[in-house]
Amino acid sequence: MNKQQGNFFSDTLVMTKRSIVTILRNPLIFIPNLAISMFFLFVYEAGLSGIANLPAFEGANYLAFILPVSIVSAAIGGAGGAGQALVKDLDNGFFSRLLLTPSSRLAIVLGPIIAGMLQLVIQAGLIICVGFFLGLEVAGGALGVVVVLLLTLGWGLAFAGYSVGVALRAKNAQSAQAGTFIFFPLIFLSTTFVPYELIDAAWLKVAASINPVTYLFEAMRTVLIDGFTDTWPIVLGFLVIAGLCAITITFSAVSAKKAVSTD
Amino acid sequence: MNGTIHVENIEKTFKGDVRAVRGVSFDVADGEFFAFLGPNGAGKSTTVQLLTTLLKPTSGKLEVAGYDVNKDPEKVRLSIGVALQETGIDPDLKGRELLEFQARLFGFSKKEAKKRAEELLELVGLTEDADRLSGKYSGGMRRRLDLAMTLVHQPKILFLDEPTTGLDPANRKAIWREIKRLNKEEGTTIFLTTQYLEEADQLADRISIINKGQIVATGTPAELKRTLGLDAIVLQFDEEEEAISAYDAVATDEYQTERVKNDVTILAENGTSILADVIRKLDERNLHPAQLNVKPPSLDDVFIQVTNEQKEGGLNE
Ligand SMILES: Nc1ncnc2c1ncn2[C@@H]1O[C@H](COP(=O)(O)OP(=O)(O)OP(=O)(O)O)[C@@H](O)[C@H]1O
Ligand SMILES: [Mg+2]
Repeated sequence: MNKQQGNFFSDTLVMTKRSIVTILRNPLIFIPNLAISMFFLFVYEAGLSGIANLPAFEGANYLAFILPVSIVSAAIGGAGGAGQALVKDLDNGFFSRLLLTPSSRLAIVLGPIIAGMLQLVIQAGLIICVGFFLGLEVAGGALGVVVVLLLTLGWGLAFAGYSVGVALRAKNAQSAQAGTFIFFPLIFLSTTFVPYELIDAAWLKVAASINPVTYLFEAMRTVLIDGFTDTWPIVLGFLVIAGLCAITITFSAVSAKKAVSTD
Repeated sequence: MNGTIHVENIEKTFKGDVRAVRGVSFDVADGEFFAFLGPNGAGKSTTVQLLTTLLKPTSGKLEVAGYDVNKDPEKVRLSIGVALQETGIDPDLKGRELLEFQARLFGFSKKEAKKRAEELLELVGLTEDADRLSGKYSGGMRRRLDLAMTLVHQPKILFLDEPTTGLDPANRKAIWREIKRLNKEEGTTIFLTTQYLEEADQLADRISIINKGQIVATGTPAELKRTLGLDAIVLQFDEEEEAISAYDAVATDEYQTERVKNDVTILAENGTSILADVIRKLDERNLHPAQLNVKPPSLDDVFIQVTNEQKEGGLNE
């Protein structure tokens, strides 16, 4: 007889493929996500680029400074969509089917998480292209672009993991959406619009220094503006994001175990 | 690999003190066809979810295919096929894709998965619709696809929670035939919940009736009918007033009498012996039923009787 446990990698692959197919068959959900993140890049650049003349920017190009914000905020649509996909699976009973297969619970949550991450990486790629079109110069060169995309990949996994975990706890679209509000403090209580030295309020300085997104911004900005002369912020960025991934993906896998068996 | 189920004194209390299952015990033998009957809210689906690793019991012991459900859920999942009361289908995938997906997760290679999907599509009559999005299927088609997904890995034990709900008579018969074949020819153990008593009567080796989270009767269909069934005398009148007077005339403490609109039903252990008595009483009042039938016990009556009696006093096996 054919029944046997599939292996973890092939299960994850099969689950991811299914999630990608599902996303592609709903273009009305992902196309607006792509559009909105590019829109942010345009308005930030148009509205705020003047402040790059302040001495603290040391002549850096504001476009390179704000590009990471555009990429990180794209996650709310791209990677955040993973949570919405999960709510859909819970609603139509498909998630129970998945839980009834011998696949590991981690493989089950990794499908939508990886698909969400890929969506974010594609968004980031497009944002960078638009950036070049607006006159972006990357100090780190082609390798710099790759590093930015790798950081994006990590951020995508972390954020999608979080949104899947929240969806599994909340079990309905509204609460899952509410869960993504954590995103706002994450992105705005940081060095979002100006460098750390220019932040005035002491409380915001504290918030920014404990916010993992700050380290992500710093790593990306280092690559984009200074290249690889100082690698510590880049390494730190990767470490913080790796830690964040470990936490949120574990959270989602544990939530999957409890999703149906809660009472 | 064995196809047995062993349940010992399981309880499931949901949040808010909803006691869905209160001390249920039963055994299902390898290759047996076991039916679980009960009114809405009796705890049938909860029991299925407990047995299939989807819910954790508040207390009690559960063994499926020889494995402890709590300790070895993975091994249990490999041995069972489950069609829940609500179908579990991703509407964005096509019928064929869903079956191949399911097969891959049960360790089939790509090629084997394709072949298995083809077989199953044929089996449930969805070959022509295989490449349409399942979200566009009718309710009955979705139900059949769901059953096909349940069978992908040729499970040793099948759990079917009201599998024929929403199917037209032809498709219902086809599904019955297949379930019967799996049971008889492949020796698959079947755990079936249903609202169609006829279904249980025809298919099941043994039936348990559950009410308010407790098993109130167990036996073969014949046993249940013999020990619990009552003959029914059904009087049908042209006018409702006549039926009301007839009800007044015949209702006594000796047997159960019910009236629904123009029909009066008398339930008694030995229908023919009281028939003369009933006719005499009707004659005295000059009441003439348009139709009079005496029916042997049906599983329906057993079901209604067992679940009603519990409302009043309580009846145990
Ligand atoms: N997740 C849940 N949370 C709280 N209560 C629940 C939950 N699931 C079921 N119940 C309750 O448990 C009881 C038994 O429900 P169950 O679904 O097992 O009944 P059933 O016999 O399958 O009924 P039906 O014939 O309508 O399908 C009901 O009172 C129901 O409201
Ligand atoms: Mg039910």
